[in-house]
Amino acid sequence: MIKMSQVVKRFGAQTVLSEVTFEAKEREIFGLLGPSGAGKTTIINILTKQLDADSGSYSIGAKMLETGLMLDADGLYVRLNCVENLNIFADIYGIPRYKSLEALKNVGLEESAKKAVNAMSKGMRQRLALARAILHEPKVLFLDEPASGLDPATARGIHKLIQNLCDNGATVFLTTHNMEEAVKLCNYVALLHKGKIVEQGVPAEICERHNAVKTVPDLEAVFIKLTGVELE
Amino acid sequence: MRSIKAIFIKQAKDIFKNPMVLVLFIILPVVALIMTQLVAKSNDDIPSNMFVTMMAAIFAGMGLVTAASGVIAEDIERKSLRFLIIAGVTPYQYLIGTGGFYLLAGTATSVVFALIGDFAFTETLKFLAIMITGTAASIILGAAIGMLSKNQQAATSLGMPVAVIVGFTPMIATFNETVAKVAGVLYTQQINVVVNDFSVSLARPLLIVAANIVVFTFLFALAYKKKGLKG
Repeated sequence: MIKMSQVVKRFGAQTVLSEVTFEAKEREIFGLLGPSGAGKTTIINILTKQLDADSGSYSIGAKMLETGLMLDADGLYVRLNCVENLNIFADIYGIPRYKSLEALKNVGLEESAKKAVNAMSKGMRQRLALARAILHEPKVLFLDEPASGLDPATARGIHKLIQNLCDNGATVFLTTHNMEEAVKLCNYVALLHKGKIVEQGVPAEICERHNAVKTVPDLEAVFIKLTGVELE
Repeated sequence: MRSIKAIFIKQAKDIFKNPMVLVLFIILPVVALIMTQLVAKSNDDIPSNMFVTMMAAIFAGMGLVTAASGVIAEDIERKSLRFLIIAGVTPYQYLIGTGGFYLLAGTATSVVFALIGDFAFTETLKFLAIMITGTAASIILGAAIGMLSKNQQAATSLGMPVAVIVGFTPMIATFNETVAKVAGVLYTQQINVVVNDFSVSLARPLLIVAANIVVFTFLFALAYKKKGLKG
């Protein structure tokens, strides 16, 4: 479904992606793991055609209009309320406006439909950004650090929603620096360090390969073993 | 078409929640009304529509350049434009949707100016023709400035001097012949030219405004090519 092969990206003299190769299969949750600055967002930007790669090939197995995107910067219209924000995109996609309310309900924001974005907490804004990403029921979802900075309860809610989306047929590509989140949520992960994929596979199998299975698979231990870098 | 409509509606809803921009559409006609009623009408030495002309040129130049550049820079800074483009909106659909709303709002304000100026019917048509094309020029210029700016603060820093030049040059040109000659290439000066003598043909002023629009569209295209979605 989502493939990247030997992709290289440089910003000036700095190589930010070095021969990155992976494949995310249809209807799975693929996790790209690594610390800040590893190149995760650059990969999403290339896959969503916001950036060009210098070399290599990639495809997402869907048209751009069949993709949903949630980035660190939410891009919401802060003076408008939740439903107004979603209605803009419902109109652009040519889908009925009641879908906006459905999307809000899916992320637990139906009570805040008329609340202005600039009066909402970070967690609520993130849920609204997720609602916008899933509004048109995309085949492929790109989520950049979807639960970053959220309280555990809100993060759990978002994880549950991502799992539901996958169960309903979407392919989810997410980035995270939270190894625990990746183990819980992802069917397949790739570990990214300084622009290189240092390991990839099913989380439990990776942990087994690196003797990092304790009571629960410990991807963080694998990462530290492979890179010498401790995640913040 | 539906993308343009969606962006147009978004701008319409947003402006009523954005007093900083809304005031630009209200304050200048109010000043023109007050000055016309209190100063121009009681002073025979001042042309009765002098303040209308002056404020209309400032509105078309300064107000709209500031509004358009600010709104577009905000969309770039907050990455909202990025999400629109990923949803399939082209930069020109975005420009037409955003610009179309400001053109309509600018036209409404121009009608208010015309009412304050108490123009005859044919004079009103000529005034609106030059104001509407001037408004379009301002919006495209503002869009180019917004596109070139990293954020709203940068848009203000870059846009304000430009807005002051295009907005105030016609006013200075009223008192200085040399400035009036140089200002001849500016779209805002064409408002002065038309309103000061409604008997002049509209062809030349409209041609100058059209030339301004071509230059500003080229600037916008360059700005988009240079900056793209990087913000």
